Amino acid sequence: MKNLNNFRSLFLAASLAFSAFTFTSCNDDNDGPSGAYAEDGVFVVNEGNFQQSNGSISFYNNNTNQIQQGIFSKENEGRILGDVVQDLTISSDRAFIVVNNSNKVEVVNANTFQSLGTVEGVALPRYFTVLNNDKGYVTEWVSFSSPGRVAVVDLNDYTVTKTIEIGAQPEDLLLVGGKLYVTNNGDNTVSVINTATDAVEATITVPDAPTDLVLDRNNNVWVLSAGKVVYTPDWSAIDYDQTTAGALSLINPSTNTVQASYTFDSNQSQPGNLAINGSGDKLYFTYNGKTFVQDISASSLTNAVFLDRSFYGLDVDPETGYIYGGDAGGFSGNGTVYVYRPDGTQVKTFTAGIAPNGFVFN
Amino acid sequence: MVRFPFRIFFICILIASYAGLASTAVAQQDSTAHQLRVVEIFGKPAEVYAVGSHVTQLDSTYLSTYSSSTLADALQARTPLYFKSYGASGISSVAFRGTNASQTAVLWNGLNIAPATLGQTDFSTLPVTGFGEVAVQYGAAATNYGSGAIGGAILLSSPDYDDHKGLEADIKLEAGSFGRYFGNGSVRYSGKKLSYGLSAYSLWVENDYKFKDLSRFGKPEVRQEHASVEQRGLTQDIGWAITPKTKLALHGWYTFSDRHLQPAMGSVYANEKQRDESRRLMATLQHESWLGKTDIKLAYFNDFLHYTDRNNDSESDVDAYQLQAEQTYAYGRHWSLRGGLNLQHYQAKNDGYAGEQDESRASVFALFRYDPLEHLQLSLNLRQAFAENYNPPLTPSFGFTYKPLQNDLLAIKGSLSGSYRLPTLNDRFWLGAGNPELRPEQGKNTELGLLHKTVLNQTELTLEATAYLMQVDNWIQWAPNERGTWRPTNLQKVENKGVELSASAKRKLGQLSLQANAGYTYTSSEQQKVYEGSGNDVGKQLMYVPLHKGVFSAEARYQAWSLLGNLNYTGLRYTSNSETNSLDSFLLLNLALTRKIKLQQNTLLLTLRTDNVTDEVYQTMLNRAMPPRGYTFSLRFIIP
Repeated sequence: MKNLNNFRSLFLAASLAFSAFTFTSCNDDNDGPSGAYAEDGVFVVNEGNFQQSNGSISFYNNNTNQIQQGIFSKENEGRILGDVVQDLTISSDRAFIVVNNSNKVEVVNANTFQSLGTVEGVALPRYFTVLNNDKGYVTEWVSFSSPGRVAVVDLNDYTVTKTIEIGAQPEDLLLVGGKLYVTNNGDNTVSVINTATDAVEATITVPDAPTDLVLDRNNNVWVLSAGKVVYTPDWSAIDYDQTTAGALSLINPSTNTVQASYTFDSNQSQPGNLAINGSGDKLYFTYNGKTFVQDISASSLTNAVFLDRSFYGLDVDPETGYIYGGDAGGFSGNGTVYVYRPDGTQVKTFTAGIAPNGFVFN
Repeated sequence: MVRFPFRIFFICILIASYAGLASTAVAQQDSTAHQLRVVEIFGKPAEVYAVGSHVTQLDSTYLSTYSSSTLADALQARTPLYFKSYGASGISSVAFRGTNASQTAVLWNGLNIAPATLGQTDFSTLPVTGFGEVAVQYGAAATNYGSGAIGGAILLSSPDYDDHKGLEADIKLEAGSFGRYFGNGSVRYSGKKLSYGLSAYSLWVENDYKFKDLSRFGKPEVRQEHASVEQRGLTQDIGWAITPKTKLALHGWYTFSDRHLQPAMGSVYANEKQRDESRRLMATLQHESWLGKTDIKLAYFNDFLHYTDRNNDSESDVDAYQLQAEQTYAYGRHWSLRGGLNLQHYQAKNDGYAGEQDESRASVFALFRYDPLEHLQLSLNLRQAFAENYNPPLTPSFGFTYKPLQNDLLAIKGSLSGSYRLPTLNDRFWLGAGNPELRPEQGKNTELGLLHKTVLNQTELTLEATAYLMQVDNWIQWAPNERGTWRPTNLQKVENKGVELSASAKRKLGQLSLQANAGYTYTSSEQQKVYEGSGNDVGKQLMYVPLHKGVFSAEARYQAWSLLGNLNYTGLRYTSNSETNSLDSFLLLNLALTRKIKLQQNTLLLTLRTDNVTDEVYQTMLNRAMPPRGYTFSLRFIIP
């Protein structure tokens, strides 16, 4: 089965490489790729309920204002996508869907969502990024008690060619000039991997529990640290004496040093969902039940409330600057997506799947 | 986005999502010789003070043929109740008249056995062996049984050994598909003053059946590797008639279950295992005097649960002490009054609590049965519960049965009943989540029914139709708040309405005897109001409540042969409260053929069973593969 799978994947990858080439050459003619999901729109990553394998991807078409739910199942003869759909990354004509508690990355054609193959054997994978047509990286927690790692994935046959051991519970990854920055959420470090050698070349200390990374217009890396949550020895409650507050830090990638770090005022709430707008000058994040906006030029946390509510997932459309927030509700039914202009007025709202945790813009 | 604390928290949610309440108790009694007076006059114990309500029993042929199955399997096959089973080995929680698992009370000899931590019973850990009777009471019955009897109640009673038959024994061995082995032995002695019964069982099931893995490319057929179950248990009942008017009984019930929890298709198996162990002891004293009948029950229940997986290790251990005292007075043929008191004390150790927690609860009740005319029966009940931290409302119920034709041909039945459910210990004590502001759930149930009994061409026919309307307010549910912390709140108001139809027929044709039962239920269960959050799902059917369920069973006996068939149709069920995704309807057929062989005074029963005859691919819980067609052979030897 596996061989057949690989063969099929190879075949599809080959045909895809060909079609990608065709696409590139046609691009000048303004003749985009075809497929139900090739139009102007947004993909919604719906995590689903833990251990129920009901994660899904929705597609909201901006031209028709129509939402399509469960597009992976729909385009793949009712196959289940999996348990805890964590991340979706699109690179040219391929989409990589990281399914955390299914230990896999599903690869589909980004325009048709038809399956191209599966990266199997990754342990609690979290986020995916693509270096080029041949190579991608995925963070793996591996387990809660061991160091995490980054797996190097061959994008021709969807196999893991190498694993790079880094810190505990690695989360987000960001490519900056051939270097891969990875947050080690279980530690207080950001690992820097040289993509030419696939080896760790620097480890930068940041405030506890870094989660998200974004690149700003000055080519600096912003890191959001959630703060370390410490439980009492019997794991029955949070020990606030030892729990640290979250922080927003700035790394200069040319020196790999932390240039600035702004600590949040309280350790009772963990900041999350760091996103940046298309022009790379405004940071958005959630904290203490609210959504905040911060100018990259500010020299402290400005505490500018963007919205008086928080979201389960948050992203910014790089073209329009619209802010997309996912509301998971009680996790017992469909989530809702709210869309806002940069001035905070609501543009629209639509229904997504269970627990919308992220957005990818087409 | 799922992060570590969330994951830890998951255990809490897993547990809390079965959240509910345990509790109180009762008026239902063992049918013993000493209460015959009340029973003879006013009917079955469960119905004496619940006039107009619908009570059914699992028939004894079914229970003895399927004695190796769990209570979940038996009720799923034979009643309109829907069980959400997390695969072949996972927990099974009930939806009764559209309510959730903690809104159905489970009583053993009249006392509620749900552990107070979760407030609900996992029916996959309860056997059907060792009981005298398994009955289902439909609709709110909280005035009779206390907290939790909102959708209905399951009544388990110990066998009754008052027949003075002397010594008897029974042994059963069974082997079946998917690595299934079961053994059960029992002895009983019934004398003039003393009776004794002991029944023990052991079950091993590998559950290594094949299924199509829908999560993988090409949907390959794979073998289930993580659904093995080991269960054992015993019941022991001692009865002593101290004097003709005074009887003492001791009941003991032990259940043990150790299993792998079957993962959903597509989910990683992280070595999830669960061990449940329950010890239940009860002493009852009954005494008759000129003041009527005095009934005292004293019980100790211990429920231990140990869940482990690669990242978690969590234990819960709860002790419950219960005392129930009742006095029943019957005056002639017209009325009967029962007053009683129920006391409960819980001590719970749980990894989610700060140390050991305890809670006490009490309730007092007055149950009144009045038959003003020969063909008119009325009951009026009141119960007031008291609980630390909560203020449960006074709960009334009223019921009637009227036979307009002055005979048994037709009866019109109806009832108006209140119900309530106190928050569970998890709802109250879970660290960082327990909500002291919670109010008890409150239910209202109205129903009207017709019962028709007749004999047509030597066929005994019984037809029953019931329509009900139920509202459950302050429905407690765990959901994340604006900071993402999961906690219980009085989330919603739900309205359930439905129709229950049943028909049974019996006929004898020479040596052939035939019996058939059919049941159909329509259940609408809608969220009416939402008190927290977005409220997107108002007006939609709640998840995992089938709109339609039908059961049909038929039994034919000819000389030494008998054939038993069970058909279960379960309609579409939504898998979230948004009505977007659903599980397909399914039809399950089970058949059992039994040959009876007389060996002198003893009896040997040979049974060949096949479950899921048509090899239906179905799920009762999203993405949990269920077993395909399987075969079971059993030998049962009965002395004498």
